[in-house]
Amino acid sequence: MIACWSCGAARPVNAALCPACNKVQPPPAAFTARDKFAFLGFDPGFDLDLPMLEERFRQLSRKLHPDRFARASPQERRFSLEQTTLLNDAYKTLRDPVRRAEHLLQLRGVTGEPKMSPAFLEETIDDREKLLEAKMSGAPLDELVRAAQAKRDEALKQVRALVVDGGDLRQAAEILARMKYYARYLDEAAGKSAEL
Amino acid sequence: MAFFEISEPGEARTKEACSTAAVGIDLGTTNSLVSIVLGDGKPRALEVDEGSPLLPSVVHYGTPSEPGSIVVGRAARRLAAEFPRDTIVSVKRFMGRSSADPETRRLSPYQFAPGDSGVVRFVVGGERVVNPVEVSAEILRALRSRAEERLGIKVQQAVITVPAYFDDAQRQATKEAGRLAGLEVLRLLNEPTAAALAYGLDKRSQGTFAVYDLGGGTFDISILKLIDGVFEVKAVGGDSALGGDDFDRALAEILLGDRERTPRSVREAIDAAKAAKEQLTTAGSVQALGRTVTRAELEATIKPLIEKTGNCCRRALRDAGVPDGKGLDGVILVGGSTRVPAVGRFVREVFGLEPLADIDPDEVVAMGAAVQADLLTSESPQHDVLLLDVTPLSLGLETMGGLAEKLILRNTTIPTSAGQEFTTFADGQTGMDIHVVQGERELVADCRSLAKFTLGGIPPLPAGLARVKVIFQVDADGILSVTAREELTGVSQSITVKPSHGLTDDEIERMLLASIENAEADVQARLLIDNRVEAQRILKAAQDQLDHNGDLLTRPELESIEAAMQSLREATQGKDHHLIHSLIEKLDHGSADFAKRVMDRGIERALKGHSVGEFDQGEISPHAQKAYSALKD
Repeated sequence: MIACWSCGAARPVNAALCPACNKVQPPPAAFTARDKFAFLGFDPGFDLDLPMLEERFRQLSRKLHPDRFARASPQERRFSLEQTTLLNDAYKTLRDPVRRAEHLLQLRGVTGEPKMSPAFLEETIDDREKLLEAKMSGAPLDELVRAAQAKRDEALKQVRALVVDGGDLRQAAEILARMKYYARYLDEAAGKSAEL
Repeated sequence: MAFFEISEPGEARTKEACSTAAVGIDLGTTNSLVSIVLGDGKPRALEVDEGSPLLPSVVHYGTPSEPGSIVVGRAARRLAAEFPRDTIVSVKRFMGRSSADPETRRLSPYQFAPGDSGVVRFVVGGERVVNPVEVSAEILRALRSRAEERLGIKVQQAVITVPAYFDDAQRQATKEAGRLAGLEVLRLLNEPTAAALAYGLDKRSQGTFAVYDLGGGTFDISILKLIDGVFEVKAVGGDSALGGDDFDRALAEILLGDRERTPRSVREAIDAAKAAKEQLTTAGSVQALGRTVTRAELEATIKPLIEKTGNCCRRALRDAGVPDGKGLDGVILVGGSTRVPAVGRFVREVFGLEPLADIDPDEVVAMGAAVQADLLTSESPQHDVLLLDVTPLSLGLETMGGLAEKLILRNTTIPTSAGQEFTTFADGQTGMDIHVVQGERELVADCRSLAKFTLGGIPPLPAGLARVKVIFQVDADGILSVTAREELTGVSQSITVKPSHGLTDDEIERMLLASIENAEADVQARLLIDNRVEAQRILKAAQDQLDHNGDLLTRPELESIEAAMQSLREATQGKDHHLIHSLIEKLDHGSADFAKRVMDRGIERALKGHSVGEFDQGEISPHAQKAYSALKD
């Protein structure tokens, strides 16, 4: 607990607003390590109630957004800007299952870029070649897109199982890192189907 | 939940009684408006030009020595035909643009000042040279003084609207114009968001809406979700150089045909085209410059321009998670150009919905801006609403090899910040160039350059050891500030990005359309550069190891590693990134055993009395340490 800059009441280090006087507080110094779940009132977890997340994001935005502090002191305006920046970041992280899982692993002490298995990299190269060939020949991409989506969903399921059932978190991180490859693949496929 | 409560007449706060007022201003390409929220909570546009709320965004410059030599609005428009060069129409199209911009080469009667100053400059009223910010400030000054006359009080604060697709340069230019006109700019508000605000309040509706805003010079598409008074923008898109003016010019080209092109004939043709376009909203055919123009002819002429908006719409829908408009609750039409029947038909086709246009498309943006001005200045605002907007274009930095590393992606809710750590590439490097870019493409050359600065005072260290942290912060106006800091010494520099010119048409077209067309080529180019940089890094690390610990190898082993290095070196001269990648892997694998021996030697030395820390820090070169990490994992 530390003291509120305005009323002096004791408040939790991570509180965006003082529980006593409701004034906006400066964010903690090492904010990068902050628990984004807690910021939006959730316990860290793989599954999240998304409508509830949206609702809490709106409620907190109403309290913290710079528009609410247009007439406040420069100090409060700065705190509001910093807190809203953190809020937007936390919301962005939590509403996306992949970013959410990454953050969860980070909170559990799994950090750093995992080393991808050669087998997976090889598979990725093969998949890409197939996509490129299909694009060149003008063949429909639906089948390839569906296959990639299925792999992505399956990978996320595996991550969930490992995280929820207390499995190997390093392995979870490695599987999670594959999501970037799937996302990129699907983006490339979408670039074509958008007919731009 | 109601978004606002209308005060009882007796309780109505009389803004007129206050000494100053905050207004909403729509600084449009064709017309500008000023609006204010009065005691009843309703925004209304003030009549500022000959009894109309629309002030034509036209500024005429007479002889500088004469009083009243600057004329704004309808009076200025009447002077345009006689003084085409001295009367600036649609100045918004030049905001934040450089003198080299293709906008300056489009069909227009103006005389541009020579020289390669960063900004466009018009020569008007004989000798006078003015830039777009100054011309816009004249329009804002006119709006301000006329609003003061209407209200009987001073107007000192304003919310000014900008197209959602305005980039950083164009936003900065608009803010500067406000300051020049003596206004405190409370907020730059995106036009479609302002329109949605006016609609949301009026309809008290909830759901996901698209705002299709086609004005005189700009096109915006925004997808918003509106729940419980919070307007959350999900995605924006657009083209900041596409609007009704382009319809006029396309038709004017036809009307001009082979006629001689003088400033006067061009002005006449554009005016005749504009009048014809407006009449053809209801009429089937009209006379223009002694020639018959049918609606079908107009529609055929502008068809490609209207279709340009379709791709922006589809992309924004996809970004917002409502592909093909499935799940959309409504489409709102904003901007005078949506009155063109062909535009309405096109919107219906793209979104599969009957568009809403019940609030005057010319006034709706200013009304939303007035509500926001009230929200930002009143002790107890009339409406309990909040707008959450996004960045229209991705923001990034130039990295090794001319690549754009995106720090903040487009459609990120603002305010937002992002940081990235970079390191030095050469030994003893003491400065680092920071190049800030905006756009969607992979290569810096294809993005819009926002600012360049140099972070100096980095302590001379071996390559890869200095840690420079670059932080982007985008505020609620969508304006970017950048801080760069060397983490070891704390040397830091920060700037608010103040570019002197804007996106060129070429750049916009490239960024908007080509970003997806070229996605594949971009990826190839990126992979090639990435792999080349990685190859150079690993070659340098391996060479360092050979220099320091080559004695650990047998002759055949040494030759094998050197051969692997040589073939990698040769591959980096070529364009096959697959080949470079596989040769990196080969070198990596081929030297794994060597790396292990180097590591063992280090440990052995440490055990002989050197501390491990000593070993880590200096016993072997930093490059060797890097080589470890490169080889080890």
